[in-house]
Formats: sequence, structure tokens, C-alpha cells
Amino acid sequence: MSRILARLTGIERRFGPVVALNGADLELRGGEVHGVLGANGAGKSTLLNILGGMLRPDAGRVEIDGEEVALTSPRDAWACGIGLVHQHFTLVPTLTVLENLALGSRGPAAAPRTVRAQAERIMERTGLHIPLHPRVESLGVGDRQRIEILKALLRDPRVLVLDEPTAVLTPEEIEGLFGLLRDLAGEGRAVALVVHKIDEVMDVADRVTVLRSGRTVLSAGPAERSTGDFVRAMVGDDAVDPIALGLGEATEDVGEGPREPGEETGGSLAGSETRTVARVEAVTVEDARGPRVRDVTLEVAAGEVLGIAGVEGNGQRELALVLAGRMPVSRGSVRLPDAVGFISQDRSSEGLIADFDLRENVALALQRKAEYRRGPWLRWDRLEEAAETIRSRYDVTAPSIRTAAGSLSGGNQQRVVVGRELAMASQLLVAENPTRGLDIAASAFVHEELRRLVSQGVGVVLLSTDLDEILALSDRIFAIARGSLVEVAKEEWSREGVGAYMLGGTAEHG
Amino acid sequence: MADVPAHAIQRRRLLDAMLTGLGAVALTAVVGAVLLMVGGHDPWMAATAMIRGSFGSGRTFVSITLVRSIPLILTGLAVAFAFRAGVWNIGAEGQLYAGAVAAVWMGLAGSGLPAWLLLPLVVLSALVAGAAWALVPTLMRLKLGVGEVITTILMNFVGIYVAGYMVHGPLQEARGVFPQTDPIAEAARLPMLLPGTRLHWGFGIAVLLVFALTVILRYSRFGFQLRAVGASPEAAAVSGRIDTGRVLLVSFLGSGAIAGLAGGVEVSGLTHALYEDLSPGWGYTAIAVALLAGLNPVGVVITGILFGALQAGAGAMQRDAGIPAAWVGVVEALVILAVLAIDKVRKMGAIVREDAG
Amino acid sequence: MTYADLVLFLEAAVRLGIPLALAALGETVSERSGVINIGLEGSIIGGALGGALGALTFESAGMGVGVGAAAGVGAALVFAAFAVALGADQIITGTAVTIGGLGMTGAIYQARFGATGTELSLPTLASVRIPLLADIPLVGSALFDQAITAYLAYLVAPAIWYFLFRTPYGLELRAVGEAPDAAQAAGIRVLAIRFLATLFGGFLAGVAGAHLALAHAGTFAENMSAGRGFIAIAVVVLGRWDPVLVLFAALFFGAASALQFFLQALGLDLAYQIFLALPYLLTLAALAGWVGRARAPAALALPWEAQR
Repeated sequence: MSRILARLTGIERRFGPVVALNGADLELRGGEVHGVLGANGAGKSTLLNILGGMLRPDAGRVEIDGEEVALTSPRDAWACGIGLVHQHFTLVPTLTVLENLALGSRGPAAAPRTVRAQAERIMERTGLHIPLHPRVESLGVGDRQRIEILKALLRDPRVLVLDEPTAVLTPEEIEGLFGLLRDLAGEGRAVALVVHKIDEVMDVADRVTVLRSGRTVLSAGPAERSTGDFVRAMVGDDAVDPIALGLGEATEDVGEGPREPGEETGGSLAGSETRTVARVEAVTVEDARGPRVRDVTLEVAAGEVLGIAGVEGNGQRELALVLAGRMPVSRGSVRLPDAVGFISQDRSSEGLIADFDLRENVALALQRKAEYRRGPWLRWDRLEEAAETIRSRYDVTAPSIRTAAGSLSGGNQQRVVVGRELAMASQLLVAENPTRGLDIAASAFVHEELRRLVSQGVGVVLLSTDLDEILALSDRIFAIARGSLVEVAKEEWSREGVGAYMLGGTAEHG
Repeated sequence: MADVPAHAIQRRRLLDAMLTGLGAVALTAVVGAVLLMVGGHDPWMAATAMIRGSFGSGRTFVSITLVRSIPLILTGLAVAFAFRAGVWNIGAEGQLYAGAVAAVWMGLAGSGLPAWLLLPLVVLSALVAGAAWALVPTLMRLKLGVGEVITTILMNFVGIYVAGYMVHGPLQEARGVFPQTDPIAEAARLPMLLPGTRLHWGFGIAVLLVFALTVILRYSRFGFQLRAVGASPEAAAVSGRIDTGRVLLVSFLGSGAIAGLAGGVEVSGLTHALYEDLSPGWGYTAIAVALLAGLNPVGVVITGILFGALQAGAGAMQRDAGIPAAWVGVVEALVILAVLAIDKVRKMGAIVREDAG
Repeated sequence: MTYADLVLFLEAAVRLGIPLALAALGETVSERSGVINIGLEGSIIGGALGGALGALTFESAGMGVGVGAAAGVGAALVFAAFAVALGADQIITGTAVTIGGLGMTGAIYQARFGATGTELSLPTLASVRIPLLADIPLVGSALFDQAITAYLAYLVAPAIWYFLFRTPYGLELRAVGEAPDAAQAAGIRVLAIRFLATLFGGFLAGVAGAHLALAHAGTFAENMSAGRGFIAIAVVVLGRWDPVLVLFAALFFGAASALQFFLQALGLDLAYQIFLALPYLLTLAALAGWVGRARAPAALALPWEAQR
């Protein structure tokens, strides 16, 4: 076995009252791809950010090449040969690709000519091809991800750390990335990566470390243990939602298997004829950068889950807003019911107002309904009742409905949003990545609620970048690629099948 | 320029605002005393002269301090109302002048009309003129995306010069000697609130407005929408399906109208004529008044009176203690900075991060 | 309207434009780093009083400029301590620094020279005539027969442009103003850059104030900055955050202000106040006309806190 390049031991880190890491260990060896697994909130990103110099640990040792170091800034980490590829893009949109690559370098290394030459050399070697002169804002997410990786490689790191690099990539792009990571490891580097999905990690990693509640609970090669062992290490004795773990239909041995698509909804619809609750026809949405949604026609029936899969940035955001009645269309016709519930993917900036208490956040949507108004006045008695109902019905952990939404945990915030939007959605609910950033229990809860709503005859449009979520919940599946929508036939309902449509190239349309 | 996020401001409930305010006043007293000493003045003398000049007797308090506080309360309400909606109306000064010009014009043109008709007309014209003065920045923000911080400031200068033009030109007194208008008709003047004092009905109007704004913000659907847009325009638009453009339009023009009212009330209640330098910068001080009150209308009354006392006391300080009245500006700045510092300390105490993992 | 009138007009335009140009160029740098300093007015008035006191004390206009610049930095330091280091709201902090700056200079002035204020007579910055260039027809004397501070503005504009767009430090500063989180991830010390950029803005605003007192008016008067700090901020927007354009935008505003002489020379009988309001109206019109397409630094006016 090759030598240890980086070793973190006993790392502890708190954010205010929240303990993110509480005794986390990680050992990275040259020549290996090291997967880091853990449920949401387990502390994966925090641990990698500490290794990348973005965050400082409260306690614990960071050793590079056997020597203890204090990484107080990203520069320190670079000096130690550590390159971090962030989970959230850390590019400056208004600067060019080249400027972004040069950012942070000083002296001769920052000269545009030097940076360009070096970038071209790395692109040649890795096959990561990106145009250097456009502004980053004009590029898609896939390109941005490549720039992030290129940026890290530019400093020739011996330890490359990637935090959830696959979230915005198609299955095919993920394969390409994994190939590259294996090559990089083959050159003697250590590669550490956080990936949300267990089976992806099992594919690529030589070794896997599992974090649970801020602690390292298992570190082993993927062949040494069964998938079940890793899953149990991740979730401990918690209830398990296989969808949230990203297991899809693959591992029936863990917990309760996912429902067959349409199983429950089909039951509820039996005997009642299908009623259309929403219909968009030949809808096109254009903005300054061109068409975002192209000529989309769609009907949503009562009591069905219509899944729309797509890689971020392909128009599903705009389509979601159109279906929710939040965005005007450039062309085409839209027919929506009066009451549309909308679970925005952006909980913290669009779903809730952090400064407002629960009462006010519930009122934010309900103020549209006539029964909560009297003339120009709001009926706060009824609004408070509604907020109280949501708090108890959805188990929101908050001292009272006067608690500010900003002080709740992500899961509890999502419960408020889900509760509120379900109260709004008497006919149609549009849910956009409704479980993003939630832990297992919270994800399971959201899925349950969606199923319950469907059984009551509400039509649900589920837009998600999470293929497993789409596959497990949908009655019909569409894929969106570059603004165009294609239905995926039942025979092709698999990650690979739907993934091909998400690329847009293999679909038979156009 | 960028639209400034409103959530940067601490919106506070009344008790909370008063505690912060007290802390800020105490901090200001300490730092101000040190600065005065460095400037070679006796802070104790300054303070006693100031208090004598503002709270010295019931009469002083009512006829000087309260009278001085009226335009501060009204412009403070204008600023608080706009800031609550996320509108950075720094233009209360210009809107105040527009209101004063319109009110004087109406008060002169309407002479002969009975008071029951003329007085409402005077008030109405001040409201309309203030709103009209806010219209240009409003439209530039909504239609062209030009930030209102700069445009409202530019409109302030224009407003001041327009008022200057009026008293030198079309509205100059008949004698044509001084740059001021003739006195407005008796029927256009606000009656006294307390007989025997100089406290006019403008104070009553301010208090009624506080009541109205409090009820609107707290209980009306529009007030709720306004607060939502101010706290988070994205969430208001997406989760509340609120027409943020309409809310901005109404709150911006409403704020302008209230500032215009301040000008109208000042000429109709106190000066009865228009002068070139009617306002010593009330529209800017209003920002401190509103901020210190935590953008809370009831709090604005208290901070408005406090700043009124400060300005009333400044004259006494200069007269009795020989300390330049310009120190008031320093004190106002210290109050604002103290509020910012206290907010920051409190936020650090209560910081909760949950983005771990 | 004669050739001589036109020359006078251009001279006035440059004279009125220079202090704005200096202040606006400094503000361009701080706004590029994400800091909008509404307290610029405080730095300008501080620079004016500092310039006056410095010139009197050291009996040298040059020393006056130095003291004025230091006073401008001092006011900016207060602003930066709150708006950058503490992360307080920039608009509110700036308003406080403006109110406080006007009050403090008034108080110091009154304490030193009495409540009514004796008319000060200051050592002035002499005009420096650049040979040959000053002889260019029409614009020569306007541009090249000016106080030394004017030449500073001409030189600083391209220098800032080079710094912002051609050096790694300028790249870092722009990154901080566009995406501070990304800048931090690239190892850049966001707050340090914002702090320094703000102080630089205060420095040039202080020089602008000293220029007002020592080259423009030859005296100090309370509130003599007359809102130039606010106008400078508008000029930055007008110049689309590009230092060279900002210089021209400042001269444009100067020309609009100088129109009063020009139009009076034409025999146009408009009220004085209308002339005074004209530059503001023209600036508004210019903002409405072409700024819609310009984009402010994305993080402008947003307080930022490092996560550590």
C-alpha cells in the first residue's frame, strides 16, 4: 500500500449550537480514490472543507505527509498540495473562464499567458475541454463543474478533494468524470470525493469512509463489506427511506422497498375517470439568453404523479414556475386550476422568509385564499389556526407558531413549506426537488405526504434532478433537455434509460 | 446599481426597539462626552444646557421640542414605511420640499375659500406633490432598473432648487424683498392643538398617521404583503404570488406622500410661508429617526421627539454653553452608529448556524 | 457666443468636474470591491477642512492636500469599521458618516474660527501650466492649466483602469465585488480588500475636498461639499464602474454645471436655481437613458462575513 498523504484525526467542529463534526477521521493514500459517504448533515462537506482550508476545526489533528499542519486559508491548503472542488460553484460569473482560473494566483503564475498555457496542457491530458474566453455566466452547469475541477488541477494537487461533483452531471458525464479520477489516482495522487449515491461510490472508490452524525463509523474497501453494511453504518438505527439513500430499486434488502410506480395512486383512481387539472400547450419561455423552455405541451391528470427528470439548467426551473403560475410564457397557452401549491427547490430564499415567524410564513401563501380575508384585512385568527394545524400535523419542531422560520432546521423548514403548499394545493401541486438537502427521515416524510396528496386526487408534477426519486414516485416520466420535453416509455424506466433522455441526444424527438 | 436587500435592516418589535434605543443613547452619551472633551468643551455643561433647552419646562417641551419633532416624526414615518417595503427612499428631503411648495401654493391660491374646504385641499396637495416627487425614482426603479438610492438623492437637490426658484420667482412675496412667500390664508393654517402653546395640529396628524400605519402594517393584507416584499422579494413573489412591482409602487409613492405631508404640515402649521431653507435636513435625519425606532411607527414617535429635543437643545447649547450647534450632527451620527453596533453585538450573541454537513 | 465664451465654459466645466472626478474614481474602486460608500460626502468635507487647516498650519497648500487626504481616509475608516469589518448596512452607515462628517467639520470650524465664521484666506494651489498641451486650441487651457490635483485625476483614471483589469490584484478586487464567497474560496481575503478599497476611496475623496478648499474656493465654508459625495456616486453609475468612463462622466457633470455660464453668455434669461438644478436633472436623464444596460458589481452593498 502506498503512503498516507493526508490524515485527519479526531476532528470536531460546531456551528453555533449545531455539532457538525464530533470525532471524524479520514485517511487518504496516494493512488487511491476514496469515497466519503454519509446521510445529509453527517458532516461530509464540513470535513472536506476543513481539509481544503475553508473552515477551521475546533479540535483534532490535520496531518499532511505525516506532519501536523494548521490550514487557516485555502492558500495554506494549496501550499500543502490540497485542491478542493466545491459543492457549490465558487466561480465568479461575470469573469471569463481564464480569469477565474487565474484568480488567487500571485506573481508570474497569475499572468494570463502562463495560466492559459497551463490550462491547455491540463485540458489536453485530462480531456476536460472548456473554452477559456467566454464569461462563466454564459456557460452551462456541466462546463462550470469542469472549470471547478480544472481550477483545482491547475495547482497540481497531490490530494484532490471533490464535494458532490456528480449532482449536476448526467450519468454519461459521471462515467467520464470517474474515469478521470481513476487516472489521476493512477498518477499517485489521492482523490477524495463525496457522492450522494452509494452505488456510485461503490463503482469508483478503492476505499470508503462513512460518517454518521459527525463521527467516522466505518472505513473499508467496497469489496470488504456488503452494501448493506455501508448503509447500516450511514443510517444507524434510524428509519430508512431507500429513495433518499439513492438505492433506487437496487437493494431490496434494506428497509422497506420502494413502491412500484403508480401502485398507490392507481388504486385511488380506480373507478373515477381521469380528469385533467392542468394543461399547457406549445409553451415557450424565452429570456435574454434565448429560449429556456421550447414548445412544451403537457397535461396533468388528477391523482397522478408526473415526473420530470433533467440535469439542472435545462429549463425545468422555468417550466416549474410556469406550471405553478409564477412565470409568464413567451408563447403558448397555459390553463391552471385556481389553487396551485408550489414547493420551490430554494427553500431558504423563495419558500420561506427567515425573519417571519411560522404564522406569517403560513400566511404568506394562505393570504391568497378568500377564507383568510375579510375585505382588505387578514383574518389572523384563522391564519393562526392554520399555522397551528400545520405545526402539529407535520410535526414541526418549534416552540410555537411565533418562532422565526430562520431559526428552524432545514428539515423543519421544509415541513412548514410542504404543509403550507399542500394546504394550498386542492388540485395541483408542483414540487421542485422537494427533498434536496433533507435528511433521510425528512425525505421519507415528504415522499409520504406526496403520495397521500395524490391519493386524494390532486395532480402532482415532480421535477427532480434525483432520478431515483423520479423513478420511485412517478406514474409518467418525462425528461427535459435544453428546454424540450420528451416522454420516457415505461420499458426505459431505469437510471440509464432516463439518463439517456436527459442528455437530449439519444431521444427520438426533433 | 444594485437593489439593496432590505433584510439588512433589523426590523424590531417596539419593546425590543426601545431597549436598543436606550442602549444606543447611553453609548452615544459616553462617546459624545469624550468627543466634546477632546473638542475642549465641558460635556456636563453641554448636557445641562441641552436638557434645559428641550425638557426644561412643560412649556419648553411642548412649544419647542414637540413642535420641532413634528417634521421629524412625519419624515421618519415616510422612511420607515419605505424601508419596511425594501424601498431605499433617501429622498424624503426633496419630497418634503415638494409638499411644502404645493401646500403654500394651495394656501395662497385658495384664499377666500372656507377653512373646512381649504385645509383639506392644502393637506391633499402636499400629499400628492410628495408622491409625485417620488414618482420619477419609482418609475426609474421599476421600468429601468436604476436603483433608487441615487435617484432619490438627486431628486432632493432638484426639490431644494425648485423651492428656491419658487421663493425667488413665481411665489415670491408681493413686496419682492425677501426670498420667501407671502403668508398663506388664515383658512389654510392648521389650528393649534394645545391653546396657549405653539403645538399645532400637525402633531395630531402625526399621531393619527402612526395609528393608521400600525394598523395597516399589522392587520391589512396589503401591509402584510409590503412587509413580505421588504423581508424577501423572492419569497413574496414565489410563495406569496405577490405582485412585488405593485407593492413597491404603492409603498414608494406612499412614502413620498407622507414626506410631502411633512412639508405641508410644517408650512401650514408653523411657518405659514415658504422659505428657501425650510428644512435643516430633516429628510436625512429621518433615516436616523426611523432606524433608531427599528422601523416601528410607534417607535418613530419616541425617536422623533428625542431628535426634536436634540435639535431644540442644540440652540440652547450654543446660546448658553457656547458649544457649536453643529455638534448635533455628530450626535445624530453617533446614535446611528451605536444602533448598528448594538445590533451587531446582539446578532453575534444569537447566531445560529445550521448549514453544517 | 464667442470663442472666448466657449473657452470659459470649458474651463468652468473642468474646474467643476475635477473634484467630482477624484471622489468618483476612488468610489469606483470601492464599489468594484462591493462597497458603496454613501459617506463619501463626509470624506470630502473632512478633506476640505483638513486641507484648509493643514494649509494654514504648515503655510503650504501642498501640505494642506496631504492633511485633507488623511482626513478623508479618517472618515472612510469610520465607515469601513462599521460597514466592512462589522458588516453593518452600508447605506445606513454611509448616511451616518455623512451627517457626522458635516457636523464634526462644522463644529471644528466654529470652534476655531467663531460661530459666524470669518472669511478664511488660504494658501491656494497654484495652477500649473503644461507647456505645449495648454496651447491646444479650445480645450488646452481648460485641461492643462489646472491645479496639480487635476493632473492627479487624469493620471489616476488610467492607472486604476490598469490596476483593475490588468493586474492580479485588480482581478481579486473585482472578484470580491462580484462573488465574495468565490473569492474567499480562491484564498482571497475579502474583508481586507474591501477595507483597503474603501480607504483608497476616502483618500481620493479627501484630496477632492482639499482641492475644493485650496484650488476651487480658496476658503472653507460649512457644508461646502454641497452634496458632491452623492453626485460622485451617481457619476460612478453614469461611468458604468469603468474608471476612464467615470472621468468623462465627472467632466460631463462639470459641463452640465458650467452650462449656467454658457447659457447666460448666450443671453438666456433662466432663473439661477434652474441652472443649479440642471446638472441633477441631466444626470437623472443620463441614468435613465443608458444605465439600464450597465450592471453593478453583483455584491455591491451586500455585507459579507467570512465563514471560518
